[in-house]
Amino acid sequence: MKLKGVQQTNWIGVGIFVLIVLIFPFVVTQSFLLNHATFTGIYVIVSLGLGLLMGYAGQISLGQAAFYGVGAYATAIMTTTYGLSPWIGLIFSIAIAALLAYIMGYTMARLSGYYLAMATLAFGIIVHSVLVEWRSVTLGASGFYGIPSINIFGYTITQGIPYYYFVWAFAIIGIIICLNIVHSRVGRALRSIHDSEIASSAMGVETGKYKTQIFVLSAIFAGVAGWLFAHMSYSISPSSFTLDASIIFLAMVVLGGSSSVWGAVLGTVLITMIQVTVHTLGEQFTFITSEFEHVVYGLILVLVIIFMPRGLFPTISSWLNNKMSQRSSETQEKKAS
Amino acid sequence: MSDFLQFSVTGITIGSIYAIVALGFVTIYSVTKVINMAQGEFVMLGGMIMFTFLGIGLNYWLSFLLTILAVMAIGWVMEKAIIQPTKGADPISLIILTIGAAIFIRGVASMIWGKGQVRVPAFTSNEPISIGPATITPQSIWVVLIMLFIVLLLYILIDRTMIGKAFQACSVNPMAARLMGISPARMSSFSFTLSAVLGAIAGLAIAPIMFPAYDTGLMLGIKGFSAAILGGLGSAPGAVLGGLIIGLLESFGAGYISSGLKDAVAFTAILVILLIRPSGILGERNVGKGGL
Repeated sequence: MKLKGVQQTNWIGVGIFVLIVLIFPFVVTQSFLLNHATFTGIYVIVSLGLGLLMGYAGQISLGQAAFYGVGAYATAIMTTTYGLSPWIGLIFSIAIAALLAYIMGYTMARLSGYYLAMATLAFGIIVHSVLVEWRSVTLGASGFYGIPSINIFGYTITQGIPYYYFVWAFAIIGIIICLNIVHSRVGRALRSIHDSEIASSAMGVETGKYKTQIFVLSAIFAGVAGWLFAHMSYSISPSSFTLDASIIFLAMVVLGGSSSVWGAVLGTVLITMIQVTVHTLGEQFTFITSEFEHVVYGLILVLVIIFMPRGLFPTISSWLNNKMSQRSSETQEKKAS
Repeated sequence: MSDFLQFSVTGITIGSIYAIVALGFVTIYSVTKVINMAQGEFVMLGGMIMFTFLGIGLNYWLSFLLTILAVMAIGWVMEKAIIQPTKGADPISLIILTIGAAIFIRGVASMIWGKGQVRVPAFTSNEPISIGPATITPQSIWVVLIMLFIVLLLYILIDRTMIGKAFQACSVNPMAARLMGISPARMSSFSFTLSAVLGAIAGLAIAPIMFPAYDTGLMLGIKGFSAAILGGLGSAPGAVLGGLIIGLLESFGAGYISSGLKDAVAFTAILVILLIRPSGILGERNVGKGGL
């Protein structure tokens, strides 16, 4: 039985996406592009969580880079300072990010809208300051170097193709988790919070509980991404976890369209592509300096919002749907005549 | 005690600037419900454009006036170019939109003026004045005076003139205002222009103290936004109060704890205040969706 209004996961879409991810390293062989593709996978994990938070729970976070940074630093401290296995580092990355998010979510449950945006912005700046200033633990502004690689069943995951697949395995698991949440009772509850918190709590949805849960989940996603980032990059410093990073994550979600899980993925891929393209052009044409990159980047953000205020993915998919329904109605008309 | 006085003076000076920036946020927000994240860039442009006008040898006060006009024009163009075409987009998209504009302006500024700081002379002589144990630079006094002047001017403009009444009408109920023959689109344009002027004045006032660079707008914008939120979004007295509180917190945090942790101190205090008053110090009690 198919209920009206109940969305279901499109497994064909997931399959096609997995196929693209699998084939990519065979088609694109330049190592720097593969490197960017790996980073894209890491960012996808962050923006998936942020997309759930924004598009489904209607919350905004201007401090997502903080959870990402906490995840990276937790594992860096465990593996580099204490010499533990990266897998124990993963537990800490998840646990600390989740704990902080729980405290934040619990205490900030009364805030909404711009006030919540402010609180998450403040949280992001505080975490960044702590990473810079708590020198005895975080090693200050220079950060950690010599973070070990990850071992799995005695096999070291080296940079390049192995790490690419490793990261995207996590990203795809993340996508599937998000799709399942979105298409479940929880997802419908979240969407009702997004539309009207008062109405949904009147219908018996425990809005506070769901909001905290989804906040914690988005932090766990960011924490895992931070873990992957730390073990990929060998060295980390607070400069990767600034407000700018939070804003880029936000831009990824909004560009792609926060009302869909795939929107976050598309937005992330797109922003990385813009960055890589402008940067590569900058290397070829001397008039494209790093300043010019920012100009182009800002301009693209503005243009996309002006012409596609709902984000790319919803705009494209509704356009495709229109085309398809037009075509099917045309064929029906032909049959009728 | 002398430390305490000195930190208070520094805090009130920088707090006054935050207050002016916050007033810019409130001006735009109350009419258009847009949070303009490029507000800090107006401040940066104020300092930078002044530097250029002085560089080509114009008179100080003529440059001052021309700078305000130039930034005003930029504010007007920005509203026409990006806010008018996106009427009705949801607020989170609008935040990204203005962030995009801010990144764009910052990029252009770094192409024009490079990445270094520029120096702009003070309004009057820069001999520090000692008042008791603390010393004050004349520019600090100017900054505070300008802030008070702006508050007075805004009060007269909003409360005592016809255009101010129209402005208030739009912020209370745009639909009803429209039925009374007020154009919300023109008011939106007016609010951006006014807020650009506020930003330019803040930039001109702080430039001799802070030495602006292409990226000073970012942090000033964030502090101004924080001040507007802390005071209660949409409340002008709240914006001034919020600005002064953040300035003082920062100054005491830097003085008594550590200069590296001054932002952490200020923002932790903001979080605590928001915990106690979720809609800001002077905000309305019932905020619904918090402005979104």
